Amino acid sequence: MSRVAVLLFASVGAVCAQDARQVMNEVQNRSKSNSQRYEGWLKVIDNKSKISEKRWTYDRLGSAGESKVVLRFTAPAEVKGVALLIVNHPERASDQWMWTPSLQRDRRIAFQDRSTRFFGTDFSFEDLEERDVNQYDYKMLGEEAVGGAPCWKIESRAKKTKSSQYSHVHLWVDKARYVFLRIESFKGDTLIRRIHYSDYQKIQNIWTPLSLEVEDVARKSKTVLKTEKLEYNVAMKEEMFTLQALRRE
Amino acid sequence: MILLRLLTMPYVRKHKLRTVLTIAGIALGVVIFVGMRTANDSVMYGFQQTVDRLAGKTHLQVSAGETGFPEEVLEKVQAVAEVDVAVPVIEAIVQTGIAGQGNLLLLGVDMTGDRSLREYDFEAGEEAVIDDPLVFLAQPDSIMITRDFATQNKLSTGDKLKLETIAGPKQFTIRGIMKPGGMASAFGGNLAVMDIYAAQFIFGRGRSFDRIDLTIKPDYTLEQGRLALEKALGGGLQVDSPSSRGKQFESIASIFSVGASLNSLFALLIGLFIIYNTFSIAVTQRRSEIGVLRSLGATRGQIRTLFLMESAALGLVGSLTGIFFGLLLARGMAQYLSSFFGELYGVTQRVEEISADPRVLGLAMFVGVFMSMLAAWVPARAASEVDPVKALHKGAYESFSDHESRMRLWAALTMCAVAAACWFGGGSRGVPLYAGYLSVIVAAVLLTPAAVRSLVAALRPFLRWVLPVEGALAADSLMQAPRRTSATVGAVMLSLSLVIGLGGVSTASYVSLIDWMNNVLNPDLFVGTSEQIAERSYRFPASFGDEIRKMDVVSEVQNVRTARVQFKGVPVMVVATDIAAVGRRVKPKVVAGERLEMNRLSAEGKGVILADNVALMTRTKLGDIVEIPSPGGIIRLPVVGVTIDYSDQKGAILMDRKVFIQYWQDDSVNLFRVYLKKGVGPEEGKKAVLQRFGGERKLFVMTNQQLRDYALKVTDQFFGLTYMQIFVAVLVAILGIVNSLTVSITDRRRELGVLQAVGGLRRQVRQAVWMEALSIGLVSVILGLALGAVMLFYYLGIIREEVAGIRLDYTYPVKIALILIPTMMAVALSAALGPAESAVRSSLVEALEYE
Repeated sequence: MSRVAVLLFASVGAVCAQDARQVMNEVQNRSKSNSQRYEGWLKVIDNKSKISEKRWTYDRLGSAGESKVVLRFTAPAEVKGVALLIVNHPERASDQWMWTPSLQRDRRIAFQDRSTRFFGTDFSFEDLEERDVNQYDYKMLGEEAVGGAPCWKIESRAKKTKSSQYSHVHLWVDKARYVFLRIESFKGDTLIRRIHYSDYQKIQNIWTPLSLEVEDVARKSKTVLKTEKLEYNVAMKEEMFTLQALRRE
Repeated sequence: MILLRLLTMPYVRKHKLRTVLTIAGIALGVVIFVGMRTANDSVMYGFQQTVDRLAGKTHLQVSAGETGFPEEVLEKVQAVAEVDVAVPVIEAIVQTGIAGQGNLLLLGVDMTGDRSLREYDFEAGEEAVIDDPLVFLAQPDSIMITRDFATQNKLSTGDKLKLETIAGPKQFTIRGIMKPGGMASAFGGNLAVMDIYAAQFIFGRGRSFDRIDLTIKPDYTLEQGRLALEKALGGGLQVDSPSSRGKQFESIASIFSVGASLNSLFALLIGLFIIYNTFSIAVTQRRSEIGVLRSLGATRGQIRTLFLMESAALGLVGSLTGIFFGLLLARGMAQYLSSFFGELYGVTQRVEEISADPRVLGLAMFVGVFMSMLAAWVPARAASEVDPVKALHKGAYESFSDHESRMRLWAALTMCAVAAACWFGGGSRGVPLYAGYLSVIVAAVLLTPAAVRSLVAALRPFLRWVLPVEGALAADSLMQAPRRTSATVGAVMLSLSLVIGLGGVSTASYVSLIDWMNNVLNPDLFVGTSEQIAERSYRFPASFGDEIRKMDVVSEVQNVRTARVQFKGVPVMVVATDIAAVGRRVKPKVVAGERLEMNRLSAEGKGVILADNVALMTRTKLGDIVEIPSPGGIIRLPVVGVTIDYSDQKGAILMDRKVFIQYWQDDSVNLFRVYLKKGVGPEEGKKAVLQRFGGERKLFVMTNQQLRDYALKVTDQFFGLTYMQIFVAVLVAILGIVNSLTVSITDRRRELGVLQAVGGLRRQVRQAVWMEALSIGLVSVILGLALGAVMLFYYLGIIREEVAGIRLDYTYPVKIALILIPTMMAVALSAALGPAESAVRSSLVEALEYE
């Protein structure tokens, strides 16, 4: 399950489960949609307060670790037209290709170090992978409020079959809506990243955060992501998510 | 130490010039040894250092020689379970066009993954370039340079840098500046990094990579990773550690290295003669002192130790001097060698610093001192055996006793027998070849005194005929002191024999090269990507050949693709061309097979044609099935012909272009052989091609004559060693002759004094010394030219069987010999000027009082 995807597009349902895994299953279920489309706006603020911005359109087909995504950059001018095709797999790292219009070339993105930052943002490539809840072990740590909202605080650890840059992750799940409000990722005792989710709106019956902020604790930089014109279960064809389609547009 | 102070120091003080000459003799050998080895090592070290700095965390590299391979190989490599990170690389040299900057090493990498292997240390405020590869990748004109290069050229982020691309000059935007040190110091800091796909475009690489750099997961050993990769990729791709690239470069340049080593060892050997000469003279001159010391109770061991310590001290001073000047020489030579390797082998390297290997310096020091002591051993032993009673008999020791002469003759005959046995019994390669070569040298050295005596005796009537008194005096002086003369003659003889040997090799090479060029290089024009014909960074698309073909002035275009691959451990050149078309135009000299049949079979893709040197070096015969690695797997084809071919010094394998395209999935072209229509002159054709394509493509057009001149120029550079050796021979001659004459004049001061006292003119004394010098020069030249004839025989054998596999005809370098004769005579005469003046200006009274 992609943490970002889940957190962006999670829906809320009335479930009374108290067990950590049951909570996480419910989070995944409530955020589930067959497809999704939105326009994204991203702002990276580095440790010297230098700001860079990017815009893109996002199309996803499928869910729960078996989705395909096409992301096309629309701004700034120097990256306009660059497109990414991401094919997520439930049991392994996603495959990614990039289309560069100025070269008229597509390339398979060679990242294998999943801790690498995603194109200058504070997300790592691993943060963007779609993962199924079953790939992790969960432990209920207790209850803690975030911004006044009561939450379950859950610890997740990747199963031995799954490698991760993080030793463990703390998740704060809103009890009322079954959505994430905060995530903190650790390497040992060191906090690496912190993600805040806000501006939740119910779109097509799915509670969706329209804004999130990622903080790279070591670099002291942060990335703000806002989504606009978000739709779920949009009619999309498989052919849209191929290398040929990537080259066409 | 007491003896050293009592006997040596006064002698050294009295004979300052001779001491300096002795030290110079040792230093000369060490200079050449250190200079050539260090220059060569520096180029190799520079290459290895660049490889290491670029390798970063790379454990292994996948490559297909230098041909590159299709992009799909990357996915195969990444799918291997043992592989952790695998990233593609294109590496090429580009001309900056900036005065004084020379070449820039351009690294094409995939920024999305490359940082996992290499540290890109950026200057503050520019991290976004690497952290946001999207911007970098989205714009194919993006380039990163080093701080050093930026500072030298006053460049900063956002500035434009013009580089040559296959589609003509293009402006690149500097989007990152790397901090000095680490990777940024590779290639002397003249490093640029760009996106790999942009690099593919610039260099006309199509959809191929040069290599893949990878790391192995910590759970596996490198060997496990290597085996897994080899299994996954088949046998056509090489999986090696980064350091193996340095070894390949060394292998490519091995022919030059062997020549340099041979030259430097010979220089040391010649130094040995100079020292021997000096100490022989010293022993002769100090016989009376040695006799007195022996009478006073000095033991033979003490006398021997005295001379050995003296030689060790001189050896030490000479070695240190030689090392100092050798390093200076290396500094000058390294850059020259670097650019020369680029022209000859297409492997350019930038040498920023001299790699003074402590082992080489230590070896030079040891060899200098050891050679010095070795050379002094015989004189030292002779000194220790001086009979105190006979010690005052001047001159008696300068001749050889009959027993010694007989022993020398027998030893020389034994050496000749060994050489003959090696040649006829042991074969013409390997240890027997080298043993025979050394035996001939030793025999020549042993025979030198007898040969000198005979030659001078033969010359005496002629000398007397020229100048009756002076000629007779000169000849007698030489005959009376064969020990003094023969060491000098031996040194000059060896030096000249090397000149003749190397000169013969170069003469034969020119003859063979010109013959080959006449047979094979007959197109009117050659269209390449660079003025350096061996350069293979850029490639043309095959379609460019069609465009040339359409020109009104062009009759035929033949596409040629060259690439170096490993064949039986030798980095040979694959030459892929349309054999049917080429076969109609050229008639190479056939060594094995039948020309039309070999062309037919290879044109049909049913065989390959081997250059004779590849066949010789790899012991491959007509009909053998050869295995050539390629990205598409191992090519197994029979050898259908062996021809003389000098496309590459390490040899060439000629195959049809369609075989290359099939196995390499690459139809790019290095060179077009262009035949013009009748009536179109080469310059006219060249102008037309340049006018048509010059503005839109990076291309370089050579006429047939220009290519021939270029090939001969590179050959000239390669044989530059010969000219250096002539310089060494001249130096040796000057040192030796000045030394000999100085001693001769000192020994004969009384004789010359008497001559002047009884009415002899100063002119006559001067001319007697000149005649003596000219005689030494002439005898040395005669013996050197004769020994050179034998040396040439061995050099051709070594080149054919051991070094390059090139079959060169025995051609005595008459021109070089004709140049050497007057040169050495002039050198001898000029070396005599100082000693002659010293002889005529010495006090007559002192001369008569001498001894």
